Amino acid sequence: MTQPSFRDTFAQDMPPMQAGPGPRTAKQLGDVVLRVRGLKKNFGDAVVLDGIDFEMRAGEVVGVIGPGGVGKSVFVKICCGLLEPDDGAIELLGQDLLAIDQKSKQRLRERVGLVFQNYALFDFMTVGENVAFPMVQRGTAKPDEILVKVQERLAEVDLPNVRHLMPNELSGGMKKRVGLARANINDPELIFFDDPTAGLDPVTSSKIFNLIRRTQAQRNSTCLVISHDIDRMRPACDRYVLLLDGRVHFRGTETDAMRSQDPIVQEFFRKGDGSKAGAA
Amino acid sequence: MNPIAVIGSGFLNASETLGGIVMVLVRILRAMLPPRFDRDETWLNLYKVGVKSYPIVIMTAFFTGAIMVIQSGVYVKQTGATGLLGWGAGYAVLAEIGPVLIGLMFSGRVGANNTAELGTMKVTEQIDALRTLAIDPTHYLVVPRFVSMMLMLVLLTVLGDLFALIGGAITSEFVLDVDYRVFFQGVFNSNLLDEFFTGLIKAITFGASISVISCHYGLTVSGGATGVGRAVNASVVSNAIGIFVFDSIITWCANSALFK
Repeated sequence: MTQPSFRDTFAQDMPPMQAGPGPRTAKQLGDVVLRVRGLKKNFGDAVVLDGIDFEMRAGEVVGVIGPGGVGKSVFVKICCGLLEPDDGAIELLGQDLLAIDQKSKQRLRERVGLVFQNYALFDFMTVGENVAFPMVQRGTAKPDEILVKVQERLAEVDLPNVRHLMPNELSGGMKKRVGLARANINDPELIFFDDPTAGLDPVTSSKIFNLIRRTQAQRNSTCLVISHDIDRMRPACDRYVLLLDGRVHFRGTETDAMRSQDPIVQEFFRKGDGSKAGAA
Repeated sequence: MNPIAVIGSGFLNASETLGGIVMVLVRILRAMLPPRFDRDETWLNLYKVGVKSYPIVIMTAFFTGAIMVIQSGVYVKQTGATGLLGWGAGYAVLAEIGPVLIGLMFSGRVGANNTAELGTMKVTEQIDALRTLAIDPTHYLVVPRFVSMMLMLVLLTVLGDLFALIGGAITSEFVLDVDYRVFFQGVFNSNLLDEFFTGLIKAITFGASISVISCHYGLTVSGGATGVGRAVNASVVSNAIGIFVFDSIITWCANSALFK
């Protein structure tokens, strides 16, 4: 038995864009979508995560910050099921991620999106095929529906005319946006962003964070964003988690951080913001 | 360094690699139940693996057949046993030289390319991207390669056998002055069907082993571009070893059955 081909479909011209089905909210706003307890991960003798406790609710955008090498990407990969933790518990969208079987994990992954630090676009597919791919593989939509949705998602990330290009013909910022469009194609309830502005210039970084906030607001999805770029992620995030030495060092809103007397938190948040550091 | 530690570490490494290869095979077989193939990926691989390999296989086989006839030509001329020329070339090509040589060419061209492709996908997180999109990389990437390599190596071996015999016949005609009809009579009158089928069994086995080994090395790459280079190197060496190990086993089994 063969699965439907989408390469032929993509060779055709795009049908006119129509209004999409609108945002999907399988979870009610405020429900816990991700709960992590006592998460530990070592690589050899190096302790990367040393008992992380973390929780996020539907509709939130949470920024995970911390110095380089503190284990932010490892944390996200464990939450997505790409890495196995050494200890701890993860409840993702109401299911125990570490206890469910492979098939249930596959089904759970259909409800979660991940935008990779290094894009991870399939270099043997066009941009349109990349964005369509998760939907095609799911096999529940007709080719015309897929085309319309791809067009919608690309338009949302301000890339309406790149469908026929190959990923290597795009700039870094454009690749990030295509990654976002691909992660959004199946309307996931929760999206992880692994350093979405790594290697981008400040203007493009601001655009990416604005885009994250805009698409999140359109779909009422929940987002976990990893970044070093505290200045530019401010418009996108509702609250922050600061990882340090494998543990959560601070959690709270920007206002909480600014009020904090903890020198590390102060340094992180105020140094990140040039204007405030200058004012202080 | 302690020689026992060196031997022990080498044994552990070999066991780890062998275990990894067996696990890839088990995952492939599990993913093929029930048989379900991604059409695009399977067609693409059949083309890349098969169609693009025709020229190199034809060239290699043609000149191998020619060389075999030239090498044996001295003795044929001395003894005048021209009827044995076709039998000798046919026997060697169909049972041994055809599948083994084409298998080695195939592992160098297709196996190395496969390891590099999957390895690059691994280090650029494209394999992780597939998993996060709820797509099983074994089902989507490995199974089409496994099926394509097995199928295409059989077809390429048949094609290679044919061109090796054509190369032998042309050489016998123009270099040894032995009529090509005498050459082909020697081939067809020798009842080499058993050798032909033994060669096909070898081709299927080599195709399976090349695909599993090259996928294993591709999917376990670590360390960026350098890691991909190391994996390709290890894949080519392991594939060559695999071909000779399976060749010995099948030849031994076939001869045991034939000489009973």
